[in-house]
Amino acid sequence: MEKIITVTFEPEGRRVRVQPETSIFQAAREAGIGIRTECGGDGTCGKCRIIVKNKSVINEVTDAERTHLSEKETDSGYRLACRTIPKQNITVMIPEESRIGARKIQITGLERPVPLNPSVKKFHVVLPKPTLSDVRPDFKRLLDHLADAYGLKSLEIDYEVLKKLPDILRDADWDFTVTIWDGHVIIAVEAGDTADKLFGLAIDIGTSKIVGYVVNLMTGQTASIGSIENPQIMHGEDVISRITFAMAGGEKLKVLQKLAVEGINDVLHEACTQGNVDSNDIYEVTVAGNTAMHHFLLAIQPKYLALSPYTPAVKKPIKVKAKELGIKIHRNGAVYVLPIIAGFVGADAVGDVLSSGIHESKEISLLLDIGTNTEVFVGNTEDILSCSCASGPAFEGAHIKHGMKAVTGAIEKVRISPDTYEVEYETIGNVKPIGLCGSAMVDVVAEMLRSRIINHHGRFNPNLKTSRLKKVNNIPEFVLAGENETATRKEITVTQKDINEIQLAKAAMFTGCSILMKRKNVKRKDLDRVFIAGAFGNYINPENAKFIGLVPDVPTEKINFVGNTAVTGAKMVLTSREARETAEILSRRVRYIELAIDPDFSQEFTRALFIPHRDLDRFPSVKEHLERLE
Amino acid sequence: MAEDVLKRLKEAIMTYDVEGAVEASKEVIKTGFDPLKAIEQGLGEGLKVVGEKFGAGEIFLPMLMIAAQAMKESLAILEPTLAKGTSRKVAGKVVIGTVEGDIHDIGKSIVAAMLTANGFEVHDIGCDAPTSKFVEKVKAVNPDIIGMSALLTTTMPKMTEVINALKKEGLRGKVKIIVGGAPVSAAWAEQIGADSYGEDAMAAVDVVKKLVGK
Repeated sequence: MEKIITVTFEPEGRRVRVQPETSIFQAAREAGIGIRTECGGDGTCGKCRIIVKNKSVINEVTDAERTHLSEKETDSGYRLACRTIPKQNITVMIPEESRIGARKIQITGLERPVPLNPSVKKFHVVLPKPTLSDVRPDFKRLLDHLADAYGLKSLEIDYEVLKKLPDILRDADWDFTVTIWDGHVIIAVEAGDTADKLFGLAIDIGTSKIVGYVVNLMTGQTASIGSIENPQIMHGEDVISRITFAMAGGEKLKVLQKLAVEGINDVLHEACTQGNVDSNDIYEVTVAGNTAMHHFLLAIQPKYLALSPYTPAVKKPIKVKAKELGIKIHRNGAVYVLPIIAGFVGADAVGDVLSSGIHESKEISLLLDIGTNTEVFVGNTEDILSCSCASGPAFEGAHIKHGMKAVTGAIEKVRISPDTYEVEYETIGNVKPIGLCGSAMVDVVAEMLRSRIINHHGRFNPNLKTSRLKKVNNIPEFVLAGENETATRKEITVTQKDINEIQLAKAAMFTGCSILMKRKNVKRKDLDRVFIAGAFGNYINPENAKFIGLVPDVPTEKINFVGNTAVTGAKMVLTSREARETAEILSRRVRYIELAIDPDFSQEFTRALFIPHRDLDRFPSVKEHLERLE
Repeated sequence: MAEDVLKRLKEAIMTYDVEGAVEASKEVIKTGFDPLKAIEQGLGEGLKVVGEKFGAGEIFLPMLMIAAQAMKESLAILEPTLAKGTSRKVAGKVVIGTVEGDIHDIGKSIVAAMLTANGFEVHDIGCDAPTSKFVEKVKAVNPDIIGMSALLTTTMPKMTEVINALKKEGLRGKVKIIVGGAPVSAAWAEQIGADSYGEDAMAAVDVVKKLVGK
């Protein structure tokens, strides 16, 4: 029997199983993913460029590819989809330029205005030339002026800048611009007045995605945004498998670090190109990311993050030179890595709290940052508790039969008629669907419960009379889209197992919410606001999120979707030293609760597996709705 | 009356009714009903039915978890009242735990509940269990089987550590070892010298039955 090969397409996260000798181009067609082509897969147009990082699982580069790709490109994994034949299971990245249609992963988030006070500042200076009666050294001359004119004291100068200072000042004819970082270090001296060229970069390194904002530090406005898939994906989809990879020793941790830096540089390049910003005018990068990404970027031993009691190496913010890491901003630029809270509540979570502002209000807030690990916070200005739940990647499309990420071709909204079981859906990009994303899964579970296709255990009703219900390998499936409606020409269905995966994911999140609320002695009615952050948060129907028991049953108007608040948190600390101080205070003050050792954990979790919950009284609006249907 | 409480226990498990199972278990204590019979013919029978449905693909993990949780909470009420030295006919003795560094409890607990339902005497040493705890428990209860669970690729090597510790103590030959958990595979079991591997809770029960020769 021939071996079947699984091809995973990123950024969709779509998987397709193909026969050996099938090209990536054909596999993409089967997966319903549009790759550009002019020649139809003959290897002549060179448009179907893809990236395969693991070269050991594919055929050698062909002559046809050599005519379209440079050696540098093939070295870094570029291939043509129509000429690439996988020999084993493989992950393929389809870059933006080869893609038909746009994608829609959430890369922006709620921003709260902060008074502009960046950590890097520029000062235009005109100095009197030295004379025989004024022989102060160059640096002293500069310091005296900065002290007189701006009250700047106790300044230091970067050694690299000092070495060239005498020439720079004279070549500039004593008319120049000084860049000061962190209030006390001169990191650049440039000829003339360059004070309007002052930019920073705010980065969030997510497990699956790296997002960056180039920010004009004179105005605080975002100049442009870049994002790419995290290239570390080839060494594991989740944090634990990447840590395992790093634990193998040797240079493995360095490999992950290098990939993180390459990813940041790619995002930087994309954003600079789009915003027409010179990367040499970027003087500081602020980085948020979960604790594992934080350790990988800094090449800090990550092993103990994945072993109980899951301790991080450091909590404090880290300041390093950009060139030490290889980040290609101004040669003396600096990197500020946000502080972290705990092993599984990282710098990204600090960004979440900062951006949502739950620490500034007396109102009691619940904040969830939904991802493979979901961070949950409950609290207000007095005290905030946090925890991390292993919610898994189901909402990002993994482990779901027709699941995919929220990009073009994904069904994102679903309605099911309770009488006829007819389905209405909306697809991202208004194209024929190829799968369904997390927000659609939330809708599906809610709608299937409303129309009694499943019961509150999550089990399919075996007596349902509709042609949409079928059995594949004895497992019930509900057909959302028939084969004539889809881009894959295959049915898109929701299986019994898919429903159960969502139950596990939402139960994990809700257990985090309920245990933190218990510890904080907060009742459902005490919640003033609920914030939902994360890559797909904005597209979830809040009614349905409550209906399936993903979030507590609060009035819908209290639920706010805030998007990627990790990166906006990084932007806040980039533009405001006060926000930076707050981030440092938050990292010390937010208390971390280890869910698994809470005595109620397994009971809470198993009760939350029901849809919406075993205790229907905790979901009065759902209870009322279900009773009306009786 | 007596038959009634057995039926209630069994049905509570089969309908995923945690409170119902707990209530019925309290009733067992109050009425002086034989707790052993309640475990074996009530709860155990119910969980066996649930396990079979799971094995047949009729239900999936969440329901099995709920049923196992109901079993666990009921056992917590009933087991302390079992008379010391009760001559329970056990299919075999099992020491089970999640290895050190790993706090994933649920999968291991389901296996423990399924084994109990199938007539095994199960000693659950919990999660994040140091190697020494496995060794001590083996010395104390002299089990037929040791079950080890790991849910993280980072903690899987601890299984090897336990096996080596048992060898060092001269205990390895006296027990059979079964391993499980999401990242664990049959190949891994073979690599570290375990006797077998359980793909899921039902498979684990079958494997354990085979290992004890029943």
